[in-house]
Amino acid sequence: MMRLSTIALLAVLVLAPTTTCLAADPPPATETETTSDAAGTGADYDPWQRMNRGIFWFNDQADQYVLEPVAKGWDVIMPEPAETSISNFFGNLRFPVVMLNNLLQGKPGDAAIDVGRFMVNTTFGIGGLFDPATIWGLERHSEDFGQTLGVWGVPPGPYLVLPLLGPSNPRDTAGIPVDWVFSVTPLFLSSFWWTGAGVINIVNARAQILDEVQQAKEASLDYYVFVRNAYYQRRVAQVNDQKEEGTNAPSDDLYDLNVIEDTK
Amino acid sequence: MTSTSSKTRSRLLLALALGASLVAGAARPAVAADGPSAVVERTTSGVIAILTDGKLSTDEKRKRVEDVVLASVDFETLSKLVIARNWSKFSEAQRAEFMTLFRNHLSMTYGRNVETYKNEKVTITGSRDENGGDTTVKTKILRGGPGDILVDYRMRQTAGTWKIIDVIIEGVSLVSNFRSQFQDVVASGGPERLLSLLRDKNAKGESLKTS
Repeated sequence: MMRLSTIALLAVLVLAPTTTCLAADPPPATETETTSDAAGTGADYDPWQRMNRGIFWFNDQADQYVLEPVAKGWDVIMPEPAETSISNFFGNLRFPVVMLNNLLQGKPGDAAIDVGRFMVNTTFGIGGLFDPATIWGLERHSEDFGQTLGVWGVPPGPYLVLPLLGPSNPRDTAGIPVDWVFSVTPLFLSSFWWTGAGVINIVNARAQILDEVQQAKEASLDYYVFVRNAYYQRRVAQVNDQKEEGTNAPSDDLYDLNVIEDTK
Repeated sequence: MTSTSSKTRSRLLLALALGASLVAGAARPAVAADGPSAVVERTTSGVIAILTDGKLSTDEKRKRVEDVVLASVDFETLSKLVIARNWSKFSEAQRAEFMTLFRNHLSMTYGRNVETYKNEKVTITGSRDENGGDTTVKTKILRGGPGDILVDYRMRQTAGTWKIIDVIIEGVSLVSNFRSQFQDVVASGGPERLLSLLRDKNAKGESLKTS
């Protein structure tokens, strides 16, 4: 059975560029040359744009008419600390996915931190509602199998918008079922409970970014391209892990005025 | 695949908002001789001093923040980088109008963050020299509960003064993002199409503000 929480989450993903899905390495040179005109990166590699825009529009409708109104109601009822705690709770449950992906990416140190975080937050953090681990210096990580594939050198492929799930690409999409297997949550809960929990998680997550999404829409001339570009850049950063020196910088070409001024 | 990622998303968006508010400005002479980190430090602490000043109205805060930020941004370079190869298609007048419209667009959409400031602090975590003489200054916006946001400032020295030419939030470069958005518009409709879209967008924003 397909996980409803996953489906619901998709709706959230439409609105925001960084999803669980895929990550991007710098594309191969040929790809860069054909796509770098727009963004100075491979961020605009989008041969399926017609289809993608259609799905994006559908997702946006689903958000505007279903998810966002519900999330607004939720936001009125729930105090901010409660929203943070609910988000902490679900983040804590995601521990096996994050830890296993860290192991697969050859980062046993980070995986050990994930174990420590889970233990600290499940106990002192009262079942994960609070996040004392971060205060104690155990940094939270965001890992998924799409990123793992990226670390292994799998290119992202073209931009792909998934129905309800939002921005992705073939590599990140391939990671979704793997993360589902890694996640132990569904194994010990009946479908009734994890569906309900999934809905709460999605509504709560959407409620936390009401203003930000609104602003992103207002600030962009083309919201579809805004999301596509941000998703690509964000996934590159996640695959490279931002803490590594230098790996997170956009390419130098992006900042080369000579390239710009020499072109007639 | 649930809350960690949603948290990241939410952080990214907030960062876009906060970070971009620092870009919303035009070029103006800044204090000379400061290094790139000093410029970022002066700008961010200047902004926070204004935001935490209880005696200022929201409108005053907005205006002052804009002034402080403008002084630290090389808006001409930023505009060129955003338009990129299409810059040569713009006449002098179109370039000037673009810079004005783009600046207004940024200050209008991101200036509103002044109202939602929640005691975030900024700390400079390091800097890195880039090829070609630029420097990237790395900072972190400290938010407590919801998690920190990484914001990098790409700095370039012109006429002895270091200024911001891009803001990179959680790995997402504003220059790259706007370049992507503007590229197709200029390719299909020329500079005039981009200018008219920006004019409309700004006009809508103005009417929202006054209504």
